[in-house]
Amino acid sequence: MARNRKNESNLRVAPILLTVFLCTILAGLGVGYVWYKNQIDVLGRQIKARETRLAELQRDNRMRREQLATLCSPVALDARVKKLNLGLEPPALGQIVRLIDAPDYDRSAQPQPQLAPQARPAPPVKVALAARKN
Amino acid sequence: MEEPNGAGGRLILNMAIVRQHFKLYVMAGFLSGALGALGYRLVDLQAVQHDNFQKMAQENTVRTIERLPVRGQILDIHGTPLAISVPAKVICANPSLMGNLYPIVARALAPLLQTNDAFLTERLTPRMWFDSNKINITKYVPLKRKVSLETWAKIQQTMASLSFGVNESKLNWRRQAFYDNLRAKSIYTEEDQIRSYPGQRLASHVLGFVDNNNNLNGLTGIEYSFNTNLAGVPGWRKTEMDKRQRELVPYRDQDVPPRDGLNVVLSIDAGLQNIVETELAAGMKKNMPISASCIMVRPSTGEILAMATLPNFDPNCTGAFPMDALRNRIIADVAEPGSTFKIVVVTGGLNENLVTLNDRFDCGMGKFFYAGRWLHDHAPYGDLSVENIITKSSNIGAAKIGIRMGKETLWRYIHNFGFGEKTGIPLPGERDGIVHAVTSREWTAVSIAQIPMGQGVAVTSLQMVMAMSALANNGVLMRPMLVNRLEEPGGKLAVQYKPEAVRRVATPQTVREMIEALKTVPTKEGTAVAAHLDHYTVAGKTGTAQKVDHGHYVQKFYTSFIGFFPADNPQLCISVVMDDPRDKDSEGRSVGHFGGVIDGPVFHNIAERAANYLDMKPDIAPPPPEAQNLAATPAAHH
Repeated sequence: MARNRKNESNLRVAPILLTVFLCTILAGLGVGYVWYKNQIDVLGRQIKARETRLAELQRDNRMRREQLATLCSPVALDARVKKLNLGLEPPALGQIVRLIDAPDYDRSAQPQPQLAPQARPAPPVKVALAARKN
Repeated sequence: MEEPNGAGGRLILNMAIVRQHFKLYVMAGFLSGALGALGYRLVDLQAVQHDNFQKMAQENTVRTIERLPVRGQILDIHGTPLAISVPAKVICANPSLMGNLYPIVARALAPLLQTNDAFLTERLTPRMWFDSNKINITKYVPLKRKVSLETWAKIQQTMASLSFGVNESKLNWRRQAFYDNLRAKSIYTEEDQIRSYPGQRLASHVLGFVDNNNNLNGLTGIEYSFNTNLAGVPGWRKTEMDKRQRELVPYRDQDVPPRDGLNVVLSIDAGLQNIVETELAAGMKKNMPISASCIMVRPSTGEILAMATLPNFDPNCTGAFPMDALRNRIIADVAEPGSTFKIVVVTGGLNENLVTLNDRFDCGMGKFFYAGRWLHDHAPYGDLSVENIITKSSNIGAAKIGIRMGKETLWRYIHNFGFGEKTGIPLPGERDGIVHAVTSREWTAVSIAQIPMGQGVAVTSLQMVMAMSALANNGVLMRPMLVNRLEEPGGKLAVQYKPEAVRRVATPQTVREMIEALKTVPTKEGTAVAAHLDHYTVAGKTGTAQKVDHGHYVQKFYTSFIGFFPADNPQLCISVVMDDPRDKDSEGRSVGHFGGVIDGPVFHNIAERAANYLDMKPDIAPPPPEAQNLAATPAAHH
């Protein structure tokens, strides 16, 4: 009898554990599902917030680009120089003396310049008021 | 327990059972009926009317949002933006949230939207209509498009602080919610964009402008020609909204991003364009013509580096300018070219070996009778060599070369130089010009003598400068190139345009001879000494054509100078044209009406500044510094 009772008691614990286990699993699945759905919602909101932020930044970027374009426009630069009376202008052609370096200067490859009657071919000049790249 | 007596007791018991059963059946029947009704309703809702309700549910939650592309930029050759798209807003209203307070909202918004409050009041008046037996109230009324973000921020501030003259704290929650909704939701926006031209009038005729009220569709210029490339392709997003119209991102179904428009990179150089427009404006102020135009071309490729017509306009506000200012006269106006056209006949004569530069023609001391008409020179010349015919711009000399060529040959050269047909520049509104066929009735006996001097044909300024560029390009006529490439928004190359040769118009030997002749024009002996440059050899030709009014020549002129430099290695070809300049300049000095004196100085200024800007190497060697120093000392003068 005692043996039987012992066996009966073992039989009762197992279903309880199984039930608890299954309930835990089911509850876990339920909570997990809700958590998962919640995460989807949270991530969706984060995506939306970031998309909104990205759109704002792109909009700001376009506004800045427009400002930069306006500031870089030759018309605006000219107007600014005149307004501030800076006196900035490129040097006149007569103010530029070009350096002719002998090794780089292949006279035969250059088109023959038409010389003014009073002018003669200039020897290579090493002293310059201003030098500009060609 | 005492049992009921006999049959009577049993009967009572049976009746009670029957009553119970009856109640049970009634209840069961009622429940079955109720469940049946519910089941029927369930089937009705879920199966029979499924499609209708699904549609209604989707209308409530599912939205397809159009995602607009950003219109591409127009850039100059160095990437300087000439036309860009700036974000803006469409201001919309929901009158159903305003009740009868819409006049107050209209009064508050009218100054910000730069409109009158009567108009806004009319727009904000709630309107009702019946649709499927339902009363609907207008919920979407666009008030103004292309509103800047700054204005939208001000509108938001104004709406948030709008007062309706009631103490809202004492109202019930429903009224408070009404006022809250009115302030926060009755005015809302949609995304939009404005086309902005940072350079204002710079290259306005090249860029064109867009229709701001119609999806930024290009109306003229590059905006029109490349509209398909610039516009891009819209995308869309199919998604679901909650009750407060917030997007439920996890329920997004389709999400197709828009494809932004391509950037159009022009061959125009904004720096050169600015130089051209500045100097042209100065010339216009000095000579007061009806209009002035200038084109700068790189002869070897046909690239147009600058193209300007005055009067011009600001594409940011085209409505403020007369229609006349919107026309690109360089391609849309045709006129008799005058003496610049002599390059065609002389090139033809040289190329056909009918004349040489040293051949001499009798110019009849300024008068020549041909086919019943007297032809005149602007000065009396006797014998002139072919070179001098170019130098002095003798009409009679050119006419005699034309007569020697014959009409078929002359016509062939006119055609080969590209006259009488569109050049193919990618701008709308280009004209063919007028060149009559030799077999046509319009080609008269005197045409053979008139056309060589630039009468009896009508050309565009662009055709003329491309013809001169052909001489500067060793005799090869190029197609004008205005667009260098198309780029993706990130800068990746999409399409690269290449220079395109149309045809050879003359042999290199002929071209060399022509250039020698053209070099004599900007000299003291020639007609355009003002076009001479100190550091570069210029080859060019002047033109002064009488204008035609109602079929008769009048004392109004169409002057031009087209030149290229350095003459032996041409890098720039520049055409300056003025329509009806005054004989006297702005200071009252008499300057005449010839291309050399009107357009020559403008060419000189543009060429000098452009050469400096491009850092072109001079082909006229400056005197050596030692010589300069010696010349500066008094002893050197001896």
